[in-house]
Amino acid sequence: MAFSFVDRYTWGYTVTQLRVQLHDFNVVIAPILIQGVLLIFVYILNPALITYALIGALVYSMFQMGQRVQNEAAYIRVDSKLPELYLPGPLTPEGYFVGMSLGILGSNVGTFAVLAGILEWTHPLSALAWLVLAAVLFAVFLFTVSLGYFVSTLFEDDRAIQPYATIITNLFGVLPPVFYPLSLLPTYWGPLALVLPTSAAAALVEAAEGGLVSISSGGIALAAISLTLEALALFLFTLAWARRSARER
Amino acid sequence: MAEDALWARDVQKRYERRGTQPVDALRGVSLSIRPGERVGLLGRNGAGKTTFLRIASTLLWPTSGEVRVFGHDIVNHPEEGRPLIAVVPQDGKPFMHLTPYEQVYTYLRTRGFDRATSKQRTTEVLGQMGLTEVADRLNLALSGGLRQRVMVATVIATEAPLLFLDEPTIGMDPFARREVWECLRRLSKKGSTLLLTTHYLDEAEQLSDRLYIIDRGRVLVEGSPEGLKAQIGGTIRVSLKGGMRLKETLATFGTVATDGLDVHVILGPDRVEEVLQLALREKLSATVGPVSLEEAFLRVVGRSIDDES
Repeated sequence: MAFSFVDRYTWGYTVTQLRVQLHDFNVVIAPILIQGVLLIFVYILNPALITYALIGALVYSMFQMGQRVQNEAAYIRVDSKLPELYLPGPLTPEGYFVGMSLGILGSNVGTFAVLAGILEWTHPLSALAWLVLAAVLFAVFLFTVSLGYFVSTLFEDDRAIQPYATIITNLFGVLPPVFYPLSLLPTYWGPLALVLPTSAAAALVEAAEGGLVSISSGGIALAAISLTLEALALFLFTLAWARRSARER
Repeated sequence: MAEDALWARDVQKRYERRGTQPVDALRGVSLSIRPGERVGLLGRNGAGKTTFLRIASTLLWPTSGEVRVFGHDIVNHPEEGRPLIAVVPQDGKPFMHLTPYEQVYTYLRTRGFDRATSKQRTTEVLGQMGLTEVADRLNLALSGGLRQRVMVATVIATEAPLLFLDEPTIGMDPFARREVWECLRRLSKKGSTLLLTTHYLDEAEQLSDRLYIIDRGRVLVEGSPEGLKAQIGGTIRVSLKGGMRLKETLATFGTVATDGLDVHVILGPDRVEEVLQLALREKLSATVGPVSLEEAFLRVVGRSIDDES
């Protein structure tokens, strides 16, 4: 197999990252607070949008995993030189990337549980919608951590990287219809929203939960295919990039 | 015949960056290290030590040359050599939000050791490195010297067949340095091979069976610390502070090496008194001692190890 990225060494590094993240209480609590603030903001603007905002908060939280991976990967590479400790060993470069991503995701399980709990309490979703939600969150995870890890390798100064993380997160997470329904967007922007991974993910969940949003079958297919292809392509590219960038030229 | 733990032939590295002149960091380094040996790589800043170590530990591509780790070609197939090595990187830091215990334990788990072995080795190595008292504090709260000890402990605990240590005791106090030396000797007795770079010549002398002195990307000389000292033509060193102006006169007594404005004269015991008389007449402060590796280094490289020029 070309890529051996999920083996016992990867799990070992996943646990390492999980422990690193869980030692910092802010890391656990901050994402919940951020989503809480955004939800209150949307509720004040229009209480009818709260279900969209809750689905959006789940998608946005997952998208933020990329920002976390980007900052963590950059910090421990530039400041602590930890790849130089971990990569000369049995842990593969792909395992290093995947383990870091899974560890960071693991430390945020609480955020997803809280948001999913509130969603189920305020607007119980159908089984199909939950299934679609799980699938799109997985795709967004693959996309965002890949993007975050790739960007982290492009800079030699970890402070220079952080603004990019914020820009990317806002560009993908706030601007497109993630926290608000697709129908509020001018019609001519619709196709673009359906090919952006975050808004495509939100639209697919809303489409699966009948009545939340009205999208044609062509639109659903466009969103599903785009999200799948973007996630897989970027993930595979980043696996290869992780291997390539493990050794400087 | 057993494979060399590390074998390198004609390793060259040229750094090329847009808008700057290319820099030849390595100009054909060849060396070999037998299993179980402790070898020191000495050189001034920028001599190429870290570049070589990073190439040998699969973190940097060489421009040309061959490197083998226990027979595995790690230039073309780094994945074959990686499980056999462990590295203390220069200026590396442990995870700030782990404790020393967690750092070592999780690192061992990441390298595939089972829980019981990882726990046992972690407790053992933290004890040997004098880290037991701080084992449960976050690395964030430790001093720079203690963090460096955690890094070394993390790597030592692996007992990997080949260890690369880039300035392993930097920032440590003299007691801590000795604890690290003891741990490295113990590890070597168990069979691990060590390649270390250091700026501390006493450390190189204490820890190395053999030394390679490199300068400007080339190996200048190779040999045991005793062998290198024996090459310089004397057993006693007289150092004269500010003795540069007497360099030519002093050269008539023995071999002279300069270190800034100071002069070291390497000579036999029969002529020491004459040099001291000269120092008294010229009102220069002088110290007498056995020849050290520092003199050998000065003789070979022509400059002090701390000389940045």
